[in-house]
Amino acid sequence: MVENNEIELSEAEAEQYDRQIRLWGLESQKRLRASKVLIIGLSGLGAEIAKNIILSGVKSVCLLDDENLKEIDLYSQFLAPPDKIGQNRAESSLQRARALNPMVDVTSETKAVDELPDAFFTTFDIVCATGLKQEQLERINNICRDSNKKFLCGDVWGMFGYMFADLIDHEYSEEIVQHRALKRGPDDTEKSARETVSITVKRRAIYVPLQNALSADWTKPELRSRLRRGDPSYFVMKILLRFRDEYNRNPDPAKRKADTEILLRMRDELVKELSIPVGFISDALFMDVFGIISGAAAVVGGVIGQEVIKAVSQREPPHNNMFFFNPVKCVGFVELYGQ
Amino acid sequence: MVARVAGVLDEKLAEAIANSKILVVGAGGIGCEILKNLVLTGFPQIAIIDLDTIDVSNLNRQFLFHKEHVGKSKAQVAKDSALSFNPNVNIVAHHDSVISNDYGVSYFKQFNIVMNALDNRVARNHVNRMCLAANVPLIETGTAGYAGQVELIKKGLTQCYECQPKAPQKSFPGCTIRNTPSEPIHCIVWAKHLFNQLFGEEDPDQDVSPDTADPEAAGDAGASALTSEGTATGNVERKSTRAWASDTDYDPEKLFSKLFGDDIRYLLSMENLWKKRRPPTPLTWDNLPGKDNPPTQHTGLPDQRVWTVHECAQVFADSCKVLKADLKRRPDGDHLVWDKDEKSSMDFVTACANIRAHIFNIPLKSRFEIKSMAGNIIPAIATANAIVAGLAVLRAQTLLKGNIESCTSVYLRPKVNHRGQLFVPERTLTPPKPKCYVCAPKPEVALACNLKQLTLKDLNNVFKEGLNMQAPDATVEGKGLVVLSSEPGETDHNNEKTLEEIGLNDGCALLVDDFLQNYEVRVRLQQEDDEKSWRLVTDTDTPMLGPQEDKTNGSNGAKEPKPGPSRSKEESDSDMEIVEEDDGGVTTKAPKRRRTEKSDTVVELC
Repeated sequence: MVENNEIELSEAEAEQYDRQIRLWGLESQKRLRASKVLIIGLSGLGAEIAKNIILSGVKSVCLLDDENLKEIDLYSQFLAPPDKIGQNRAESSLQRARALNPMVDVTSETKAVDELPDAFFTTFDIVCATGLKQEQLERINNICRDSNKKFLCGDVWGMFGYMFADLIDHEYSEEIVQHRALKRGPDDTEKSARETVSITVKRRAIYVPLQNALSADWTKPELRSRLRRGDPSYFVMKILLRFRDEYNRNPDPAKRKADTEILLRMRDELVKELSIPVGFISDALFMDVFGIISGAAAVVGGVIGQEVIKAVSQREPPHNNMFFFNPVKCVGFVELYGQ
Repeated sequence: MVARVAGVLDEKLAEAIANSKILVVGAGGIGCEILKNLVLTGFPQIAIIDLDTIDVSNLNRQFLFHKEHVGKSKAQVAKDSALSFNPNVNIVAHHDSVISNDYGVSYFKQFNIVMNALDNRVARNHVNRMCLAANVPLIETGTAGYAGQVELIKKGLTQCYECQPKAPQKSFPGCTIRNTPSEPIHCIVWAKHLFNQLFGEEDPDQDVSPDTADPEAAGDAGASALTSEGTATGNVERKSTRAWASDTDYDPEKLFSKLFGDDIRYLLSMENLWKKRRPPTPLTWDNLPGKDNPPTQHTGLPDQRVWTVHECAQVFADSCKVLKADLKRRPDGDHLVWDKDEKSSMDFVTACANIRAHIFNIPLKSRFEIKSMAGNIIPAIATANAIVAGLAVLRAQTLLKGNIESCTSVYLRPKVNHRGQLFVPERTLTPPKPKCYVCAPKPEVALACNLKQLTLKDLNNVFKEGLNMQAPDATVEGKGLVVLSSEPGETDHNNEKTLEEIGLNDGCALLVDDFLQNYEVRVRLQQEDDEKSWRLVTDTDTPMLGPQEDKTNGSNGAKEPKPGPSRSKEESDSDMEIVEEDDGGVTTKAPKRRRTEKSDTVVELC
């Protein structure tokens, strides 16, 4: 839980954050200013998340990545300059990340997540992981859970993307707008004048760990009924995560044909395994899963950034617990898995 | 070479992108994000227009700008920053208003797609018409707080920006502002009018003195005793407020005594007004509430503390002094322009609004709150802009692939809908409205007015305010007679003549043309004896805008000196409107439900 920092905002902060304080209030801004964020994976998605969180005015952001910048990253990674190809992605992103908001303390870490001790992850209020394998994600999620730290993860493959959140036991306040008849003077002829009043209510949301969400039981009737309503994004995510686990990489645009075949084969296996109707997960969904397309990174990074802001400021209902962006329909939606 | 790695995009799309040319109108919150996405994706040729300069309050979201860029051209800095992401693309930056002869139909025709990232209705209307005239697809974007939307506009295929009448700006009757305020906003509007009367551009419609023509006060004994002073227009006959203030050398105590003492006593004499209302209490300068109060404990931003009336009077005096000095430094005839981000202007309005509120028993507000209301600030955040810009560029890619039918509008909701959707796409494109007065094959509209009263000057205003034209020319249909010319001087001698005197009568049709917008509309005149001003009527009988009595912000499209991608400093600092991103002056108006039949999203569209 982020401690509410009682120190008042400086004039410079009030000026720079004016437009957002008018949206989420001063209390949220103070909570943001007290929070420490870890961002894992500095692909285009990581860069988008970092940008949104640094701009919001958190206390600190640590960029963690052991990979080097590749040409393909330049399709979406705007924090690392093009001339840094071959150098560490987190370090290369530092300068521009800091320039986004000099009031935020931005640092980098170039070790691989597997080499970092559990204690490293719990020094942050919230961890936001991208580009990792399922096993790595689950490890970090469980470490966070044990220390009551919030965890989010997400990925973008081509134009497709998802997000998962485990905010454990999350308390938040929500502003609810109510309409009520406006009492006016007896001379007032205006009919049915109404005024809106907003009241703040306290709420609570309970989350489940990632392994529960990823092992959702599709034989259960409540999930079967989701098949009828029908968006296959959850399965696309499962297949892409499996691809990464199995091949230790993402689908490669240089092997577009071969990798598409692998993905379609994995799709067929999953269809059998979970007895999903054939044709439910169309081939078209696997056409645009190569590299990271900037527009999709912006969209998913925007959603993840906003969820981090909601989580640490404890304001507005956060999404529970998965978000998907399906580029074929251009739809973005939230579903609850694993509960 | 732009597409760096083969196989990321499908071949057809990669080729279409390589041959594309895109215009981005507006380099604010959404514009910065769009530009980044275009450059990274490898769009090789981009032009970006914005007339605005960078302000500190932009920096929480307009991420191509940093502190050292404050005061510089948004378009230019956005270009330089974006080039550092991908030096292989060609970006042309224009620090300019898009509403200009330099950007005519042939200019628009060179682009495959135009992307709007604007913050005001005037510029949106204009780009809408330019894209219709040039037959170029327009992707229109906007955000407000957590919400936003992306919409394709294509001539003949979809609705245009003006197919749905927009919610009018919120306005208040003059007598509420001048005589009987009952809400904080009434006092804020009055205070902004007072600013203009004293230091700004004097506007007879922004009188701040008691209005004796108030219908409610008719037959009033107190007022009738004073009619010798009154005029037909209801204003108390005397020197202009500006002249009077200048004669007293803007002496704060004298100004205060007149505005918050004498004028209030005058209002009290209009007894009818106070039969059912709580009467106001005049104030005297040296006996103000809160003088001896100990300082109260306050948590929050300094601006969020509500001042006492005594403090307001001090701030009033101090800001008057600064504003007077500022005005005196300027050449004769020049004036100040109210700006919410200018300290003394904002202090003055806060102090005056609160003093008046106290007089009328209306709750006082903090400077922070009054700034939102007086400056029509729409809150703006980085994430919503990033999402909307991301969706816009993905839509542009779909368009380039030739799948225009699937480029339906997408709404970003502040919270998920009942189906769990956060981004809600429409199922199909929304077809054009056949009777749209802008995009119909032969646009037509009726003008209901009293031809015996409406002057040619009024008619010019009808075209500018009601039909969003920039430089209208009008001829009589069938006769070719020029009634109104956009060339200065050509028809000005007729300005004060009524339409009847010019020879126009009931049933007569005018062909009204805006050369810049390449837009022509047939306007049928309808004589209505009872119409005090004017109304535009389309065949679908949706009521359209009439003239406005009063405005919550100090300007409107017609008076706007140079509307463009971003509003002038006076009322906004940036980018959004449809639901626009930032403070878009014209945009805070009553939220309207757009296309409710298809989407349950409420987005403010302006």
